[in-house]
Amino acid sequence: MSRMICGVSVRGASHIRAEKPCEDCYKYQEISDTVALMAVADGHGSDACPFSRTGAKVAVNTFCSVVGGLLANFSDNTELLITYLNREGEVKVAKAIEEEWKRRVWKAHLEHKREVPLNPDGSQKKTAVYRMYGTTLLGLMVLPDFLFAFQLGDGDMMSVDAEHVEPIVETDKILGTETHSLSSENAWKNAVTAVHRRDRDCSQLYMLSTDGFSNSHASEESFWQTCREYFDMVQENGFESVAENLKGWLAETSELGCGDDITVVMNYYDSQADVHE
Amino acid sequence: MSEKLKRPGGELASRPLHFFWIVDCSGSMYGEKIGTVNHAIQSTIPDMVEAANNNPNAQLLIRTLKFSTGASWVTANPVPVEDFAWDDLDAGGVTDLGKAFDLLAAQLTIPPMSDRALPPVLVLLSDGQPTDDYKKSLDKLLHLPWGKKAVRIAISIGQDAEDSVLTEFTGNRELVLQANNAAMLTKMIKWASTAASMVSSPASRIKLEDKAGKTDSASADDLLSKGGGTAPLVLDMNNIPNPDDINEGDVW
Repeated sequence: MSRMICGVSVRGASHIRAEKPCEDCYKYQEISDTVALMAVADGHGSDACPFSRTGAKVAVNTFCSVVGGLLANFSDNTELLITYLNREGEVKVAKAIEEEWKRRVWKAHLEHKREVPLNPDGSQKKTAVYRMYGTTLLGLMVLPDFLFAFQLGDGDMMSVDAEHVEPIVETDKILGTETHSLSSENAWKNAVTAVHRRDRDCSQLYMLSTDGFSNSHASEESFWQTCREYFDMVQENGFESVAENLKGWLAETSELGCGDDITVVMNYYDSQADVHE
Repeated sequence: MSEKLKRPGGELASRPLHFFWIVDCSGSMYGEKIGTVNHAIQSTIPDMVEAANNNPNAQLLIRTLKFSTGASWVTANPVPVEDFAWDDLDAGGVTDLGKAFDLLAAQLTIPPMSDRALPPVLVLLSDGQPTDDYKKSLDKLLHLPWGKKAVRIAISIGQDAEDSVLTEFTGNRELVLQANNAAMLTKMIKWASTAASMVSSPASRIKLEDKAGKTDSASADDLLSKGGGTAPLVLDMNNIPNPDDINEGDVW
């Protein structure tokens, strides 16, 4: 089984019209031939969050750092890692991600010598600083036998194979334009995680995307149909062709859809190809 | 570089933005008041079309609901703003506001509302006190997921309007706009019509409640309006016309 990964962020059509930057970020790390980490983040981009692009960048780095650290700690016993993630994913892991993100954001804020709002008693109002960097975070760790998914805020993580299209994580959809945020107090409480066993005998596509992707579709069914067709396209035309066309497709999707920034990271496992494990 | 491939995927669509005019057509609105409403809303249409054209990623859909003795839809289905035409309303009868809330609630339920829509905008215009038991109907409306998220604006017409009822509807005193003469009513209707373009901005906002339903007070401080209500703050309320600046015409 061989693995291919690509990622693309496009500035939303409405962001282009409003001369606003893209607030999304993504990152992927190929730890080995069979282990990979991927993350996407969507900075809130509102006036209350002027540094959310930085917040998104810090978020994807934080996911890779925290989960990569876990991977290293449990490198000799993946069954123990599965047990740990099942038990502690939504508490200890989520808390570790929130704390590390806030630690890094605070450090970045001070390094840039940005103003720190004060409480009435003169103490530093850290919560107000975090808010300026508000972002969502979706992360996925894929190992040969299982995957671990983390989601805080809106966006989608989908798994596609020849027979199924399904979300990797089930989250409560929030109506309108609100989302959970890493910047909130006790943000970890809003994180959702999942651990799934993998079938290594079938080809699979994992897709992480910011909410601009699904929001650009007429319905949930249309979005799932798109995920299915991306998988089919990879199988028919090859992953590289899809990766090379992805930016244009996403720009068109934003233009004909909701106008928001769109980021997609795709991770394809080809069961027909051999790789040295 | 490999060949350029056609984009795969299902149907794409801009996000629908439902805008509702909810107009009191009771007897007390007879004459200049309903005439001003008819003229002012009619005159906002070109501006709303232009605003919609500037944001092709939101589909602005308009409906009109009238209430007097009973309530009914003037436009039964959502109409794209570019196809919207205002039918002049007449006034007569009592003020069955609760019945209007019932009809509204039925349309804000999912379905027929889509869960991928932008927050709807509800603009209520009234000059009097409800004559029916509106509280249960309002409570039901405000407990609907889209009822809670809707941007709710009220225009209080004349000095007999019951502002406390309108504040219950908007959840925020600042979103009850005072219109005590024709000039002010026209200005307020124009301002309310711009809410659509403000709502269609795609920037994300931080949800204020965690899983346990506890409000994050810090974020509430930052995001809720100065009035301390619970209406979502997606409107720039700094540019609401000031009634003191307009003295034209007789006071109602």
